[in-house]
Amino acid sequence: MTNSGPAVVARELAKSYGSRVAVDGIDFEVPAGICFGFLGPNGAGKTTTMKMIYGLARVGDGELFVMGMDARRERREIKSRIGVVSQETNLDGDLTVRENLTQQASYFGIDAHAAAPRVDQLLEFSLLAERGNDRVQSLSGGMKRRLMVARSMVNEPELIVLDEPTTGLDPQARLAVWRSLERLKRRGVTLLLTTHYMEEASRLCDRLLIMDEGRIVTEGSPASLVREHAGREALELELGDDCDAAALLATVAERADGHELHDGDLTLFAQDAEELLRSIDHDRFPTDSALVRRATLEDVFLRLTGRSLREGE
Amino acid sequence: MSYEPGYAGLGDRVPLSDLVPSPRLAAAVWRRNAQVFSKLWKGALLPTFLDPFFYLLALGFGLGTYIAHGINGIPYKEFVAPGLIASAAMWSSAFETTYNVYFRMNELRLYDNVLSTPVEPQDLVAGDIAWSSTRATIYGIVVLIVVAAVGLVESPWAILIPPFVLLGGMCFSVIGYTFTSLIPKIDLYSYFFTLGITPMFLFSGIFFPFNQLPGWVEVVAWLTPLYHLVEITRGLATGPDAVQILIHTAWLAVVTAILFAVPVRALRARLVP
Repeated sequence: MTNSGPAVVARELAKSYGSRVAVDGIDFEVPAGICFGFLGPNGAGKTTTMKMIYGLARVGDGELFVMGMDARRERREIKSRIGVVSQETNLDGDLTVRENLTQQASYFGIDAHAAAPRVDQLLEFSLLAERGNDRVQSLSGGMKRRLMVARSMVNEPELIVLDEPTTGLDPQARLAVWRSLERLKRRGVTLLLTTHYMEEASRLCDRLLIMDEGRIVTEGSPASLVREHAGREALELELGDDCDAAALLATVAERADGHELHDGDLTLFAQDAEELLRSIDHDRFPTDSALVRRATLEDVFLRLTGRSLREGE
Repeated sequence: MSYEPGYAGLGDRVPLSDLVPSPRLAAAVWRRNAQVFSKLWKGALLPTFLDPFFYLLALGFGLGTYIAHGINGIPYKEFVAPGLIASAAMWSSAFETTYNVYFRMNELRLYDNVLSTPVEPQDLVAGDIAWSSTRATIYGIVVLIVVAAVGLVESPWAILIPPFVLLGGMCFSVIGYTFTSLIPKIDLYSYFFTLGITPMFLFSGIFFPFNQLPGWVEVVAWLTPLYHLVEITRGLATGPDAVQILIHTAWLAVVTAILFAVPVRALRARLVP
């Protein structure tokens, strides 16, 4: 690593498309060598932020530095040192798997001969060694995503930006992508990813930033965010038709760390949700179902924005 | 959700330094297109052999029979044949820089990937235009071989035709690319072909000369790139006049150089909003 400072620094960063404000003045710092996540629903401004970092959107207002370089002026230099896995799969369908990687290397000025050993390693890394001569079109969705990750590594980047790397994948394919990202992390590559899957965020990210409507809502490690905003456990109650929610809340208020109520679904947050459940008078407050579980990032998001992460999907 | 900027117009002015492509990165873009073509060329080239054959048959051998004395002392078949080399280059460039570029850019989204590497819009446009004019030259050479094989090339200077076709291909390509980089939707290509390419094909002196027609016709033709390339290929195939060829060459080179900035600017505005 040639750069010892933070991988990305943004100050008052903003971006509008016409009259639509996509990113509304955000400040953040991505330390080098960790996995840093942007969590938020669709339209939160995550993709626009990533695009400003990897040079597919110009910086609107404010400042953005990537590995110490100014994203406004040193776009080509920045792009030569980072890798990008975009949200859309944009592999070259007319080329084979191997040719996709060789061609990508040539965009970094690396000729086919010099790239060959690196391409072999990347095929091994992404478990695609057997498929090198196959057309990209014949790959499954998960394989294509792994090839996208491999493609982002041809220039041995210090920072890889991944925009929703597993959206649309089945659970097994998602796991395979996560494993390859974990291998990358162990090599000391800085990972910057966006996601709206809380499981992905809590599994991969050392540090998280929650974004909504172009602004940063909060930032911290996944565990501390849950602890701080949702507590340890959650009790989910499906209230019966004749259950008075307001009266119920009044009786449990002092024992719960907070609550969310949506159309007869009540979530209560507490240190010990089991005990909270036992304390409720079920004759007075009938419920159709009750579930005790650990609090998650989904709860954090819901509590901070009043909306679900998957809303509008 | 990703924002689709779509039509972005001409975009902001860019500094001159952002118009100078990196030869190495433009070559990488060229190489990708050449590699894909090398897989598909068998299917792509056959119509190129047949196309000039049909025109020669219908016009040269059919209509030409009624033009007993030829044109300007040249038998009609030999008058038409060199023009078909130029028009093959035009059709090839027009298709490559319209539909093919459009699909790579907007449907396959390949340019989003290319532009997130060190490749910048000027390298991308230069590489695509270099490829498009290479392809035009391949097509032009195919037609040259066809017309030479049936004995319609008089002058040995015809051997010099390919580099001029390359230049003409660049000019057609930069025009097609300009159109592609500026249109908001694909439907507008029918205007490009119906109002641009087809009339150019018919009225750029391939099938009849202008000296019998009103003066303004020649002025309009003079403004089209095909006219200049036809004059060059016909000159070389029938016996060249160096000064005339130099003038036509200069026209093609100047127009290409001036127009190059337009797709670079427009592509930047469109893909790097």
